[in-house]
Parts: sequence; structure tokens; C-alpha cells
Amino acid sequence: MAAAATCGTGFGSSGSVAAVAGRSGITSFQRRGKAGGTDGGPRLLSIAGTRPSLRNGQLLVSTGLPALDQLLGGGLAVGTVLLIEEDKFNIYSPLLFKYFLAEGVVNGHTLLIASAKENPANILQELPAPLLDYNCKKELGEDVHNPRTPESDDNMKIAWRYQLLPKMEQVGPVSSSRFGHYYDTSKKIPQKLLDISKCHEFFLPEKVSSTLAVESCPLSHGYTKLLQFVQNIIYTEGFDGSNPQKKQKNILRIGIQNLGSPLWGDDICCTEDCDSSHRLTRFLYILRGLLRTSLSACIITMPTHLIQNKAITTRVRNLSDIVVGLESFIGSERETNPLFKDFHGLIHIRQIPRLNNLTCDESDVKDLAFKLKRKLFTIERLHLPPDLSDTVSRSSKQDLAESAKLLGPGCGMMAGGEKHLDF
Amino acid sequence: PPRLLNTLDASEMLESLLALGGLVLLRDSVEWEGRGLLKALIKKSALCGEQVHVLGCEVSEEEFREGFGADVNNRLVYHDIFRDPLNWSKTGKAFPGGPLGILRAMCRRTGPGPVTVALDSLSWLLLRLPCITLCQTLHALSQPNIYPGDNSQVEQVRVLGLLHEELHGPGPMGALRSLAHTEVTLSGKMGQASASILYRRPQQHATLQTWWFSILPDFSLDLHKESPLQSQPHLDPQTTQVDPTAHLTFNLHLSKKEREARDSLTLPFQFSSEKQQALLYPVPGQKSHIFYEPDAYDVDQEDPDDDLDI
Repeated sequence: MAAAATCGTGFGSSGSVAAVAGRSGITSFQRRGKAGGTDGGPRLLSIAGTRPSLRNGQLLVSTGLPALDQLLGGGLAVGTVLLIEEDKFNIYSPLLFKYFLAEGVVNGHTLLIASAKENPANILQELPAPLLDYNCKKELGEDVHNPRTPESDDNMKIAWRYQLLPKMEQVGPVSSSRFGHYYDTSKKIPQKLLDISKCHEFFLPEKVSSTLAVESCPLSHGYTKLLQFVQNIIYTEGFDGSNPQKKQKNILRIGIQNLGSPLWGDDICCTEDCDSSHRLTRFLYILRGLLRTSLSACIITMPTHLIQNKAITTRVRNLSDIVVGLESFIGSERETNPLFKDFHGLIHIRQIPRLNNLTCDESDVKDLAFKLKRKLFTIERLHLPPDLSDTVSRSSKQDLAESAKLLGPGCGMMAGGEKHLDF
Repeated sequence: PPRLLNTLDASEMLESLLALGGLVLLRDSVEWEGRGLLKALIKKSALCGEQVHVLGCEVSEEEFREGFGADVNNRLVYHDIFRDPLNWSKTGKAFPGGPLGILRAMCRRTGPGPVTVALDSLSWLLLRLPCITLCQTLHALSQPNIYPGDNSQVEQVRVLGLLHEELHGPGPMGALRSLAHTEVTLSGKMGQASASILYRRPQQHATLQTWWFSILPDFSLDLHKESPLQSQPHLDPQTTQVDPTAHLTFNLHLSKKEREARDSLTLPFQFSSEKQQALLYPVPGQKSHIFYEPDAYDVDQEDPDDDLDI
């Protein structure tokens, strides 16, 4: 009887499914369509390219890199700031910047690109092309297999159901819907996609006329002007709900490149005790206020390795919501270290926000590395290559342990202290 | 693809420094002076027929022009700051706006055609101008202008800046290095000068190369063989790789006949390719199908319900 009771309630909640089945006459399980307001409750905004978070219903947008989305707990929350700490030679951070913007173009979001170094029109032209058809996974898989195994051309014969699963280990929960897209960095975005997209550009040398007076300390008009520009766009285009005539809500994706560099008129990278260090922090504070009250998401790349005063770096990190640091191996002694030969650099997730929540979606993998393949930027768990040496004895492991000291505990049995326990 | 160092000669090295465009930073020190390399680069650009602007701050014009032939000297447009840096003589030759004004004037160029601007030295400017202003002006200077002509040519601009490393702290150095497309660090060993060149092509990998060279009196370059210390992978001689596929109790390698026999086996759950595609790439909105392919021998005449005692 108890079993019957639970069965009864079970049918009640999935009543629509049973009703549909009864109507059509064929027993087939169909996914319940989005009936919207008929079943009561708050209706979530359905904007293209967004989805609610699995944890707390927060509206998320994709960062353009599905691997990064998983690490951040599903995506970037609308109204937050993603800070990318640039790598030393600024090779990989522009890629993440472009992925974010390309994702906006593909989803039809409005873009706002601000830069002091490159003309935003050029940045727009150089966005990567999206891989939109189902064969994208096959194309991506080719990258991995290509030179090494010759029998990768034919699909798997016995385990063919697993063909579509990703070849590399998934880090984080697997997202089932097509939320993020994959991009091909070797191709540029097709012009027709750019023509239908809307982009606002802020190029600092054009907006701020340089004065000839050398003695007067250059004021950071740049930040103030950028804030005014952003506020203007948000207000006139109704991203903060101030224009109720607009039927179709959309997301504003803001991208700010090289914030804090001398080209923005800020001297935090030049001197250690600069008296105007509060300009950048005030800018970030006001920007976050603007974002929280509008349907927008922002990506900022900042050369934090150049900031001379560590206190400023800490303040900047606290004022951002998500902080991701990139560390490339170029030029450092790790480039030739055989431990890191499969990767191009490390990626550090330094901060994840707790939005409307007591906990945050931290992944348990702390040692992540990235690799820029010919077409794709991948993020993987950092793993050490197997120790195939002849003398696999305790004493020889000391060398590896020394160089792998920085790795976290999730990296396998190789890293550890100097003494190895003998099991 | 990396070029073989044997085929690279001195002029190609200089060309590679100039080809990238943008800001080229020559970092020198007291022991390893960089002005010789700067003059070698100027000579190379001048002989290629380009316009060369020189901002001379540290040495006099006569001393700078010394060693150049007449063909090079005629192509140099020399802006002399050394003689009267603070404009005390108030003659007509003084430049309004000082060195910054000169740099800004250089930004407004007249026509297309490759331009080389040599700053001797960037350190002098960095010590007298605010770092931010200098960075912004250098950036504006090294941006190629696009001339809306018939084929809208993009001009080639390169700014060669001589920077004395020891004079500046990490802040300004870092700021200037982040602006540079090519960075040459001069050092050496036992009387032999070397240049470590870092090429930072935008959107691409950074590459590091080191050359050992010497500058001849007429400011042409003489390359020596590359130092053996350049990025060789550090091989540990003690560890030898063990082949894990040796000494196994089972057979890992298949002969050709065995491989063919394996390939021609029919597998028990081998579906037709249409069915595979339908299962792998489900069309959204389609109702789920049940695929049933009866086996050949699965035709049973008996009614299985016969033995039920109903």
C-alpha cells in the first residue's frame, strides 16, 4: 500500500507526460516541453546563450571555452567580472579574451570591446571561427591522434558507442546541453557573423586627446571615460531594464584588454609606491556595481605580473569575482623540464565567487595545465609522465620530488616530501 | 619552422630583427655596449633605401655619424638633442616641445614606405619623461599607419630603442618590455659578445634565439657559430628508458596474418552504420526507437506460455 501511494504521487507530478502519452496513443517517453507559466512558479529569463546554474539557478553565460566553464561551476554568472591574469609574454590571455567575445557573437549578444593597445575593430576581425556542426568532435579528436597512431582513421569497431566521448579526462561535471561552443583558432570568424553582431568599441587613443604638457601628471581620464561609456551603453540599450519597450532581452558582453598597463595611463606597473593606485581599484568597484545592476558579463585581462606593489594585486583580486591566472612556460626553466613537456603552461583558478550561496563550486583538481594545440586550447589535469626509468628506486625519486614540489596533493603518488614511505 | 643556424648569416639576423616591426628593445649594460648593434641596424635599414630618423641624446652628432659611409649618412635624418637638451641657446634650431614633441612629430608621417626610428637612447628619455607618457608615445609611434591609397598599403615601422638595463628598476623595464615586439639582450663571455633575441610575434609563440657576434669597424656584423649552450634538452645520462612491452607473458604483437584474421571477424553486436549513426547522433525531437533485429535462429514454433499452469 505504501508502494501504491508513492506510485500515485509519482504519476501526479509527471502528469503531463502521461497525458501526452495518452493523447498520442503510442507509448513513447517525450521530454516535457517548456510549458512556461502554466505550471506556476517564477519563469526564468530565456535569453539565447544563457542557462540557469545547476546549483542555485543563477543565470550563466559561457566563457567560450567549455573546459573553463566546467571549472567555474558551469559558466560565468551574469553580472560578474572574470579577471584573467596575463601570462608573461601575453600570448595566451588574448586567446581567452577572444573566445569570450566570439561566444558573444555566436549567441547574438551585444559586445563592448575596450582596449588601449589594439584597435577593437582589429580584435573583432581576428576572432576565431566557431565549429558548429556535429563533426566538430571528430575534427578535434584528429588533433590528438594525428601523428602517432595510424589506425585512428577508422572509428572504433567494438566500443563505437563511446566515439563521441572526449578523449581527454573530463575535469568537473559534464554538461549535457550545447551551452558552450568550440572554436578553431586557425580560422577567422566568418564575416557574415560579424555583420549581424553588434559591437561597441572603445579605443583609448581615439577617445583621449593627448596634451603636449609634459610636466602635468597624466590623469587617468581613461578609466573615467570608459566607465561613462559603459554606463551610457547600458542605459541607452536597456540592459538594466530602464527601457521597458524592448521586448527581447539580451546580454552585454564587455571585454577590457590590458587594464592597468601604462597605455591606460596608469602607473601601477611602473612604480612601486604610486600615489594614484586607487584609480584602478575604484574603477573596478564602480564597474562591478554597474554590472550587478544590468544583464552583462565582463572579462578583463590584466598584466598582474608587472604590478610592482603586491597590495594592489591583492586588492584587484578581491574586487573581481572570478580570477584565473595563466603561467606560460616560455622562457622559464620549465620549458625544457621533461615533466612539463606535454603542456604549454599552468592555469591557476585563484578565486571563485560565492553568489547568493554559502559555498562555491570548487573543483577538486587544483593542478591544471593548458596546451594550445593547432586548433584548440585545452585545459587538462596536470599529470606526471610515468616513471619508466631502469632504477625505480627510492633514492632516484628525490630529483623528481624536488622539481615537482609545487604540485598539489592531487597529482599522484610521485610528488611528496623528501622521504618516501615504503609500502 | 625554426631555421637552421648554419644557413643564417649576419644580414639575415639583422633582417629578422627589423622584419617584425614595432618596438625593438636593445638592452645593454656597461660591459656589453649596444650602440654598435644599433648602428649596425641603422646601416642595414639605410642601405635598404629606407628613411631613418635618429634621435640623438647621449652622444654628439659627429660621434654618432662616425664610421658610417656617405651613403648611410645621407639617409639619416638626425634630430640632435645632445647639443642643447634644455633649449638654453634659444636659437631657431630648437624644437618646440622638447624630445617629446619630436617623437610626436615623428608619429605624423608623410607617406608610405618603411621607416626606421632609432632612439639613442631610450634610457635618457625614460629618466626625463614620465614612464606612462613615454609608453603611450612609443606605442603611437610604432603603430603602422594605413594609408588609404590604391592598395591601402600598411607601412612598415620599426622603433629601435637603446636601453641601459642598469639604470632602471623592474617597473619601467617591465612596462617597456611588454610593449616591445623584439627584445635583444646583450651579454657575453670572455670577450665575446652575444645577443639573446626574443621574438614576440603577436598571436604567436615567443621564440628565443642566441647569437654570438662581433661588430666590425664599419658597423657590419660578423656572426660566430652559435654557442653550444643554447636550448638543448637536458638529457639525464643515468636514467635509461625501459621498454614495458618486453618480457611479457602474453603476446602483444600480431603478425600480419593474425591481424587480417582479427579484422575479418564478425562481432556479436555489430550494427549497420545507419543504426550506429542514429544512435550516436540523435536527432532532437525524434521519438525514441527500439531497434530489434531478430537472430536467424530465433524462430521458435513453440508457444512459451504452454508450460504455464493456467
